[in-house]
Amino acid sequence: MTPESNKLLEKISQFFSNIRIGEIMTSPAIVVTPETSIKQVKNIMKIKKISGLPVVKRGLKLTGIISIEDIIKVLENGKLEDSVERWMTKDVKILYEENTLSDFMSISQKYKFGRYPVINNENKVIGIITKYDVISWLFEKLGTMYIHDDRRKKILEREEYTSRLTGELLDNKKISFDFDIDYTEIQRIGTGATKLKSFLKKKGIDEKLIRKVSISTYEAEANVVIHSESYGKIFCWDFEDSIRLLIKDYGKGIENVEMAMQEGFSTASEEVRSQGFGAGMGLPNMKRFSDKMTIISEVGKGVIIEMLFYK
Amino acid sequence: MKISELIKDKNFEKVYIVDDAINIKNGYIGDLLSEIMRNAPGESVWLTHQTHPNIIAVASIVEINTIIIPEGFEFESETIKKAKENNINLLKSRCNIFKAAGIIYTKLIEE
Ligand SMILES: Nc1ncnc2c1ncn2[C@@H]1O[C@H](COP(=O)(O)OP(=O)(O)OP(=O)(O)O)[C@@H](O)[C@H]1O
Ligand SMILES: [Mg+2]
Repeated sequence: MTPESNKLLEKISQFFSNIRIGEIMTSPAIVVTPETSIKQVKNIMKIKKISGLPVVKRGLKLTGIISIEDIIKVLENGKLEDSVERWMTKDVKILYEENTLSDFMSISQKYKFGRYPVINNENKVIGIITKYDVISWLFEKLGTMYIHDDRRKKILEREEYTSRLTGELLDNKKISFDFDIDYTEIQRIGTGATKLKSFLKKKGIDEKLIRKVSISTYEAEANVVIHSESYGKIFCWDFEDSIRLLIKDYGKGIENVEMAMQEGFSTASEEVRSQGFGAGMGLPNMKRFSDKMTIISEVGKGVIIEMLFYK
Repeated sequence: MKISELIKDKNFEKVYIVDDAINIKNGYIGDLLSEIMRNAPGESVWLTHQTHPNIIAVASIVEINTIIIPEGFEFESETIKKAKENNINLLKSRCNIFKAAGIIYTKLIEE
């Protein structure tokens, strides 16, 4: 990057300096294990068009980083069959998920590396951040801000939600349907999903699509009541080409999203299991019936599930 | 098969019927709600041991029109109330779930 564009990036970034790295990073990061051969790494870099990968042990614990510069060294002095462990850089500069854009700016001023692995509070590699990530994030932000310039303040106050799936702004004012999930009574599970179903029916949406949307809503609603220990909200946007769902709670969060996504994984109590919950199929059902899905979870803060259904 | 067909059979007893001309085209058995969500076909009868009110929401979302429980089980009163609100038929069988399924299956096949 030229010094001028660096300066420009710095200037724009000041404006967003409090944005969390977790929001900007590429996640999950493509990673390799220490046993991987340099040859394989070279192939991954070529196919995925990336120039560096975090090296992780079991449980995504970071042990090093391997980059194009290291590969060049191997080509000069080593063998392509060598393991990553031999050539990786062990002293890795990292950022935490909670760090902010301004932390990124200062660390990249100081070290001039191209990429920094992003770590969560369990020391797991959950993503990677490069200047490219920052630029494309800002680009997207500035783009939407330009369109919605009159509501710029709102965007900064984060009252609106920027879709993780498409990058567009899901506007509060354009919500087609919303529902407050009452978590105090297990008997009420499905109230929101059934209401949404009749709403969509009245709008004349395709039956098959309604089925997919309502099943997914039901599962997310059930999870809020059974697991979150907090009230929640269902938002639905009926766009021309798609239906968007956002289900939010403010509860305990999911500790390990990857595990929770696995079919059969459940922490449901015996009591709710006896009522037919806890097959560990809810999240897999959401994934199956939606066209795109993402989970944002922070332990102690809650879960946000976003789903997209094409029309 | 019309639901009236089932009510005529001595192995089934009606608990709440929305309309006995409702058509049953298919069926499914299970007690795990998320599994029902995933696999149960629409316009169907659902045989289950679950009797609590949540089954009504499940049924109306996947368009199961009739829920049947086997001998020795009773629907909770809240379940019956919700069935009325959501237009879901409720039946009790006088036999176990295996036999009940067999009877319904045979009737559907014979059509
Ligand atoms: N909103 C949430 N808040 C906290 N934890 C959650 C939330 N949603 C899911 N989880 C966790 O993820 C696990 C898996 O969820 P999933 O919906 O796949 O299965 P389940 O709810 O346990 O069973 P089923 O959905 O089949 O009834 C849950 O057991 C729970 O530990
Ligand atoms: Mg669930």
